[in-house]
Amino acid sequence: MKRLFTILAMITAVFSVIISVLPISNLAILPAIVALIFTALAFYISKKTGEVKKIIQFIFLLTILALSLSAYKAIFTSTEVTNTNELKNKEKESKEKAIEELEELELDDINLE
Amino acid sequence: MKYLFILLLVLTSISVNAQNNAFSSGEKLTYVASYNMSSILTDIAQVTMETSDAKTSKATLMRLKCTATTYSKWDTFFKIVDLYESYVNPKNLTPYLYKRDIKEGNYSKFMKYTFDQKTNTIKSIQRKGLKAEENKTFSIKSGTKDIVSSLYNIRLFDYKSMSIGSIKSFIIVFDREEIKGQITYLGKETISTNIGKKECYKLAISSSEKVLQGKNNNLLWLTADENKIIVYGKFKIPVGNGELKIKSAEGLKN
Repeated sequence: MKRLFTILAMITAVFSVIISVLPISNLAILPAIVALIFTALAFYISKKTGEVKKIIQFIFLLTILALSLSAYKAIFTSTEVTNTNELKNKEKESKEKAIEELEELELDDINLE
Repeated sequence: MKYLFILLLVLTSISVNAQNNAFSSGEKLTYVASYNMSSILTDIAQVTMETSDAKTSKATLMRLKCTATTYSKWDTFFKIVDLYESYVNPKNLTPYLYKRDIKEGNYSKFMKYTFDQKTNTIKSIQRKGLKAEENKTFSIKSGTKDIVSSLYNIRLFDYKSMSIGSIKSFIIVFDREEIKGQITYLGKETISTNIGKKECYKLAISSSEKVLQGKNNNLLWLTADENKIIVYGKFKIPVGNGELKIKSAEGLKN
């Protein structure tokens, strides 16, 4: 049982670290919570049976690292669009072409008033 | 019976050719599009809706422009640069030219419709990636609009006179196919937004296609004033749930 919880805690902790470095970092909280639960269970069983292995402490640290990283990104990383040149050029070109195309249409009889 | 029929006809024509008192050129609405995963929202893209004049030698049309661009943090993984435009009659939003130029990751597509409102036909041009241009002319039903002008047209409906549960139907042409859209008025609701606390008209949108899933899963909140701007949207799409929240509003008409 102790081994199973340790393995599950390790897997979820690694997952949370991977997710925390991706743009979806705020989703790292889900595997991190699961990892903390499994780590706590593994720690509790280990303490009952005797020696607490170093790996459990390592998994705990890994989970805290993932949580800290996602919290830092959530607070200090601003969500903004920086590269707008591509879109601006696209918009400008498109409007110029559109005006040319609209000139070819019969718009005389449109009631715009 | 004859008078009733004439009255119905007049009322129908009024609702089809609703007058534009909600917005004018120079309006810019900015939104944040988020993806909902296990109740945790992740901001994905910035969406803008902008109106401006498009002057030709014969007339001044209105350019309705919608753009979607991913936030910088996503650009290395999946970059989106989408541009949707519609050139319409500013009075009743009848479209004359529609363009869709999208780039999503490695996928790109260009679509252009030139509307002939006299014959109810569309001349379309489609380009997908590096494939050759594809031209097609097809007929549409009277009153059919492209997706951009349809989105703006929602703001022209008179919700004040609508009772809860009232339905408005419209036809959208998308990917050279006509899709039946429907809006159900669900009543008024006050919600908190980035531009303040707003009393809103709550609407449910559904379509004949499977793009929008469920009957009351796709909701829109429009301010219950003369501007009727979209301040919040909730959508259920095949790949999950999405949200659209207003960030800023400039150049409002009223």
